[in-house]
Amino acid sequence: MASLQMPMGKSSRRSALRLLGIERSEEIFPVLLEEVLALGHPRALVAEVNFETSEIKPVASLNCSRHLLQRFHSSLFAMETPLAQVLHSLQPARVHPRNRRSPDYYYYPLIYRNRTACWEAERVRGGKCIAVENFHSRLKLQLQPQVCGVCEMRAYAAMAVVEVKRGAKETDIVELRALLELANRYLSRLFKVEHYQNRMVDLETTITQMQTVMESMTDPVILTDPQHRVITQNKAAARYFQLPEEVSEGRVRAVELNNLLFSAALSSMAVSGTDSSRDMTLVDAIEGDEVLFEAVSAPSFAPDGRRTGMVTVLRDVTDLRRADEELRANYDKLRQAEEVVRQDRDRLNLVIENVGDPIIVCDRDAKIALLDPLAHELLGSRHGRSALHVRNQAKLDAYITKFTYSFSDRESAPIQLTHPGTLQEVEYDARSGKIYDERGMVAYTVTVLRDLTAVRRLEQLKLERRMLEMEKFAAAGRLAGTIAHEVNNPMEAIKNCIFLLTDQIKPEAAPVYDILKGETERVARIVRQMLGLYRNTDQVGNFDVNAVVEDTLLLFARQLDRAGVHVERELAALPQALGSADQIRQVLSNLVVNAKDSMSNGGVLRVRTRLVRKDQVRQYIMVSVADSGCGIAKNMVRTMFEPFVTTKGERGTGLGLWIVKGIIENHGGKLRVHSKVGQGTVFSISLPAAVQ
Amino acid sequence: MTKERGILMNRKCNILVVDDEPNVLLTYRLILQQQGYAACAAISSEEARTAIRDQEIDLLLCDLSLEKQESGFDVIEFARKKDPLMPVVLLTGYATPEANDRAQQLAIPVLFKPIDIKELLDMISELLKENYEQHEAAG
Repeated sequence: MASLQMPMGKSSRRSALRLLGIERSEEIFPVLLEEVLALGHPRALVAEVNFETSEIKPVASLNCSRHLLQRFHSSLFAMETPLAQVLHSLQPARVHPRNRRSPDYYYYPLIYRNRTACWEAERVRGGKCIAVENFHSRLKLQLQPQVCGVCEMRAYAAMAVVEVKRGAKETDIVELRALLELANRYLSRLFKVEHYQNRMVDLETTITQMQTVMESMTDPVILTDPQHRVITQNKAAARYFQLPEEVSEGRVRAVELNNLLFSAALSSMAVSGTDSSRDMTLVDAIEGDEVLFEAVSAPSFAPDGRRTGMVTVLRDVTDLRRADEELRANYDKLRQAEEVVRQDRDRLNLVIENVGDPIIVCDRDAKIALLDPLAHELLGSRHGRSALHVRNQAKLDAYITKFTYSFSDRESAPIQLTHPGTLQEVEYDARSGKIYDERGMVAYTVTVLRDLTAVRRLEQLKLERRMLEMEKFAAAGRLAGTIAHEVNNPMEAIKNCIFLLTDQIKPEAAPVYDILKGETERVARIVRQMLGLYRNTDQVGNFDVNAVVEDTLLLFARQLDRAGVHVERELAALPQALGSADQIRQVLSNLVVNAKDSMSNGGVLRVRTRLVRKDQVRQYIMVSVADSGCGIAKNMVRTMFEPFVTTKGERGTGLGLWIVKGIIENHGGKLRVHSKVGQGTVFSISLPAAVQ
Repeated sequence: MTKERGILMNRKCNILVVDDEPNVLLTYRLILQQQGYAACAAISSEEARTAIRDQEIDLLLCDLSLEKQESGFDVIEFARKKDPLMPVVLLTGYATPEANDRAQQLAIPVLFKPIDIKELLDMISELLKENYEQHEAAG
């Protein structure tokens, strides 16, 4: 401003010195007004602009009435007033009132302006400092951003209004303008200093807050300069990187090592440029433990983009890693368990595939969930089902539905299905079980169909074989009967002849006669036994086995007594047996006589009866005849039930046990023998009890 | 004792043996005679009926199966018509249940061949003794 270069009068130098002595911006306006009045002007005031409310309001005045002050209370947008006009144009003006008697007013805008940019703007270079902007914009007030784009300083704007003394010359106005100019320059400078002062205080507060934040972090935080020298670190970091007051050898080494490791890590991370992280193991200088850290570093930049160093935060991941390892171990375990389950499943699948029976798995609603290939054959698949498939499915559905909603865990029932391949009716034994979920509800049912064809065939075969045996026995019986009958009459004559010759044999012929007699009697016995087999004289019906036992023992009581055999009987309460009492008597007689013959030196004959329940319906009567005789040799046991096998020499016919076996089998019973040479023999007979 | 066996009321008891086997018939007759009985033999039912009609018979010893389809029961019935109390012993090679039942109804003891001669002789003397006592009682 050229006007400022003009030589100053004595008073103006005094004013300048006075203004220069001011240290606070708010003291400028009162001093300025005093100096204005000192130039001989009667009144002056300063009105300040509030940019937020657009209000223009007097803040300082000298010799001004309230009425006058009220006149200058205005708005930034009241363009008709000289106040607003001057502010917008930023050009000082001397305003002559229309009324000649009224004094002139000189308006001077006081605004934050400077020829040179603020320090911050200078540092930033190219930044738009509001002071310079205002200095250059001589035409118009920049209303909107009256805030510095660089240092965020809020600019001030005010208006000095001076009532010009009467008869003032142009030189007076220049002098006034110079004063106001000077005051504004001082104000701008003060304002700037105060602003930086405030900013410094703010920064200090921020720094303190940041330090508190840093210290309160439990993780070590370290700030380093571009040369990786530590600028600052928090307490947590000091534990690892700073030597404590009292140092031991170990700690020094630990801290040195930590520092070495840390700078190495920083160097490598700095190369990568952006945020990076890496793991490192540090030694706790106090505890001596090794701690695993994850270091996260970020480069720090100055506002102008210069790199100022690095911020590194170390995170203790020892526990994390341990947890991670545990997690990994658990995961491995899980994988192994899964593998076992998978193997089990594969094995089960293999078993199912090889069972060779159709298997049907149904869900809780008895809907098919799974079929094995054999079941597929029976029930068909979605593509192509014949009427037979549907019929099989319907039969199976009925069974499975009934089972699913029943209370039983297992079920088995016969089921007839038609094999679609062979078109043959196959009898299956359906066996089902339930699988429950964790709430105890039926989740699945599994049904296995067992093909009974083979079993039935075997049963049929057994039955046929037994029928054949019985037929053979009957045929043998008939043959024996026929032979016996044919032999019977001639033998009857021979026997009678021998009887007639009894007293007529010469003494020397007596032994021959005895042989003739004995052998004939033997033939008679054989014939009698053979006929007994064929003689169907007795009735078939219900009879009491115990009574037959008692009868038989009574019949042989004297013989047994004479042979020195003691009889023990143990007879249980029995239901009636079905069959021929006479034939059973013949059986028992045979067995009792055999027992007696085996105990040539006496002994014990034990006869027992008891009832054996095979199931709800079938019951068997067991009769055992046990002796303490000589026993039967092993090789004899196999053949003793065949006809004409005897151990009794001339006295036996070899038919007894054959007949016994035949009779018992004809009754649907079984005959078992258990013998030990020298200890005795037990014959056990089981006969079906009559159904009551 | 053999000689005394056949004699009751001071006369020989007359026993009729009926069997279709000649040798069996002969030997029984001989045995009975040896035992002191008066024995006559019939080889067929026809002969038997003639003997029963013509002679005084004390006891009938009859085989069940005779020639052709003739049955011992026919002979027994014929004899019982003449003397309802006539003692009879039925001999048989093998018996059917029906035959057995019928014999039981008629209260006739059955002996199965081969026959124990001693048992037969005991039975004959027992029956004759019973019969004699019944006759005595009847007057």
